[in-house]
Amino acid sequence: MPKLIIDDIAVEVADGSTVLEAAQSVDIPIPHFCWHPALGKAGACRVCAVKMLEGPVKGIQMSCMLPAQEGMVVSTTDPEAVAMRRNVIEWLMINHPHDCPVCDEGGECQLQDFTIAGGHGIRRYTGKKRTHVNQYIGPDIEHEMNRCIQCYRCVRFYQEYAGGCDFGVMGSAGRVYYGRFQDGRLESPFSGNLVDICPTGVFTDKRARFRARYWDYDMAPSICPHCSLGCNITPVARYRELLKIVARRNDPVNGWFICDRGRFANDEVNERQRPRSPEVDGRETTYDEALEALLLRVGEAEELYGPGSMAIVGSSRLALEAAALLPQLAQSSAAGALCYFTLQAEGDRTLAAYELLSAGKSASLNDVRESDCIVILDCDPLQDAPMMALALRQAWRSGAGVYLVGGGIELPCEFTRVATLDAVPLAEAKRSVIIYGTKGYNGVTTVASWLTGIAPNFTKGGLPGNLKLACLFPGPNSFAAALLSREHGAVSLEEALADGGIKGIIAVEADIPEQLLEGVRFVAVLDWRKTATVQAAQIVIPTTAWVEMDGTYINNEGRSQRFKKVMNPGVPVKGEGPPLHPPHIHRSVAPGGEARPAWQVVAGIIEGLGGERITEPLSGQWEYLRELDAESRGVMINDL
Amino acid sequence: MRILSDIAAIMTGMWITWKHMFRRPVTVQYPEEKRQPYPRYRARIVLTRDPDGGERCVACQLCSAACPVDCITMQSAEGDNGRRFAEWFRINFSRCIFCGLCAEACPTLAIQMTPDFEICKRDVMDLIYEKEELLIDGCGKSPDYNFYRHAGIGVTQPRGTGVEEMPPVDVRGLMP
Repeated sequence: MPKLIIDDIAVEVADGSTVLEAAQSVDIPIPHFCWHPALGKAGACRVCAVKMLEGPVKGIQMSCMLPAQEGMVVSTTDPEAVAMRRNVIEWLMINHPHDCPVCDEGGECQLQDFTIAGGHGIRRYTGKKRTHVNQYIGPDIEHEMNRCIQCYRCVRFYQEYAGGCDFGVMGSAGRVYYGRFQDGRLESPFSGNLVDICPTGVFTDKRARFRARYWDYDMAPSICPHCSLGCNITPVARYRELLKIVARRNDPVNGWFICDRGRFANDEVNERQRPRSPEVDGRETTYDEALEALLLRVGEAEELYGPGSMAIVGSSRLALEAAALLPQLAQSSAAGALCYFTLQAEGDRTLAAYELLSAGKSASLNDVRESDCIVILDCDPLQDAPMMALALRQAWRSGAGVYLVGGGIELPCEFTRVATLDAVPLAEAKRSVIIYGTKGYNGVTTVASWLTGIAPNFTKGGLPGNLKLACLFPGPNSFAAALLSREHGAVSLEEALADGGIKGIIAVEADIPEQLLEGVRFVAVLDWRKTATVQAAQIVIPTTAWVEMDGTYINNEGRSQRFKKVMNPGVPVKGEGPPLHPPHIHRSVAPGGEARPAWQVVAGIIEGLGGERITEPLSGQWEYLRELDAESRGVMINDL
Repeated sequence: MRILSDIAAIMTGMWITWKHMFRRPVTVQYPEEKRQPYPRYRARIVLTRDPDGGERCVACQLCSAACPVDCITMQSAEGDNGRRFAEWFRINFSRCIFCGLCAEACPTLAIQMTPDFEICKRDVMDLIYEKEELLIDGCGKSPDYNFYRHAGIGVTQPRGTGVEEMPPVDVRGLMP
């Protein structure tokens, strides 16, 4: 634990930290381009210069390359260091184009910030600027090589961190070029992170190309809904349109990055044709009328078919707020069934997988990154949860053994194929993780029987100390769905429909296969996506998408994470007539802006059915999640 | 004698009034008679074109960011040749205070203030000017400047042929 003094502030940091990190730990900003917490140092940009006044080395040094040592006295404000940084920035700007007004990075550009902070304002160099020809690198990312400052961040991320091999650095001297050998879409499923880590505008998000500026963005901390890992994101919206999604740091979960599936997925939210206003029998109506019609039909169903003829269906993508209200809805509508899963196989597998996890024994993505032995069993991380694949590549990079039981999949690292779990040297590992899935595989049962073999009481904390489990669930809130299913004895819709007693369904953000709806007389759907179930329903009440409301997801390890409202619901302004510009009309509600969060609609139905008025969806056992901070690391559900 | 000094005071005032009746007035009989303000007078805002006739505005949002009363709104978009332009651009003149910060912020010299101060409508909604009303056919006060010639990214000319630019690098070349 070396102790050093930076700008008259005494700092003590962990062994192996750099002077730059030491300064950051006491909020002393040092400009840097090539250094990145997840990628480490390269010493390429020379902009983090500080002056060492006392200690083992003296003079101007690069703070990112210099390990913090006992007795160092560092000055970041020494005139020599300030002049060095100003000159370096001036060199970096020599070839940088004069295109900030037409650059999407403008306003959120590290180079812009540090140039202004470094004091370089007027160009003194009179020579000509080097130019490059850009490449087409796919439909999602724009390439503008003229802006490059050669910090090597992109190539270090792409090749070392993410294991991609179709993008690299070429050329020599002043002609260094970052790109592919020839035009073509970037192959790595993590390529979108180039947009985030490039300190200037070489890589920008094509979906948000020329759309808005940082200071106009609607932004809020949010959680990715595209798999069960619960990666932290910041969606960016403007004029009721989701423009892009940026990774948000959460060390125990996704770290600094997200996958392309989560990043380039704004089409569904922006879809003009998604349910925007309530419909009864295909006729647009008001929210109150739709609610009335729904209550009427629920009453009719009870009269015609007797009590217990309704089923309440939730899903793995339904936020906890609404999911936790469904048991109350089932009670007040005298429903015959409460379901959180539609298909029996999916429900059974998810519940069985959930049973295997216990307090302190479910692995976070960081546990995977730090583990030294990883077993993958009947799941495909690159398909089911790409960030899990990236995490296990980091473990492999630091020397972990990766074992794949069975085969048939690809991983972004080297791995050993084994036939069974017994063939993996788990006993020798210090921190091992077994990763298994629930999507049409038999991994859960294999893991369960193997664990029973080695530790009969593993569900009650009897799992060997060095072993953790990570399950890839099908949806962002599968954990909560399984937990609530277990608690309220819910069955899958397939089972509930088997005896033919169910005649009506209230589906809350649930995808129900067409064949299951055959014998059902009445379907009401609360959803924001235009699913087949919405098209088959008699009553449709639109709900808000996840970026349009506050909510909670519980991820695959049982970590509750809050997401905040990013934007108001409504049809995007872009594409709305008249053709030349948006209309000159005063409105209190945006067109298509009547959608409400699912829990509010559910609460409205409960109240209409004679239940109590619900103003706070998280009550009882969930009350402790009310104050959950969206910018925190989340709260483990098993800590209860 | 108090009364004498009072009379003197009244006479002095009357004399000054009398004198001014024969002077040229400083006011004009607006609206019958109009004055031409100085070229740098800050009144109605326009969007200018570059010397080649293209729209100068690249919808970079700096004017709307600089605007202290938030009267500028726009949507940027990408044109066919990669040119960034304003899909729509709106100035709410009922809110504008003609401070000129937008024109000062504009990096492409697109937004400029004109001496036309006569903006008056019967319906306040008519004071919302769209790009159709704002865009003029001319360069305004900076007749020579074309942002894209200096931007360093192509668009109006092939890459590497703009002002102060070298031809594109041959990445695969082996020369030092």
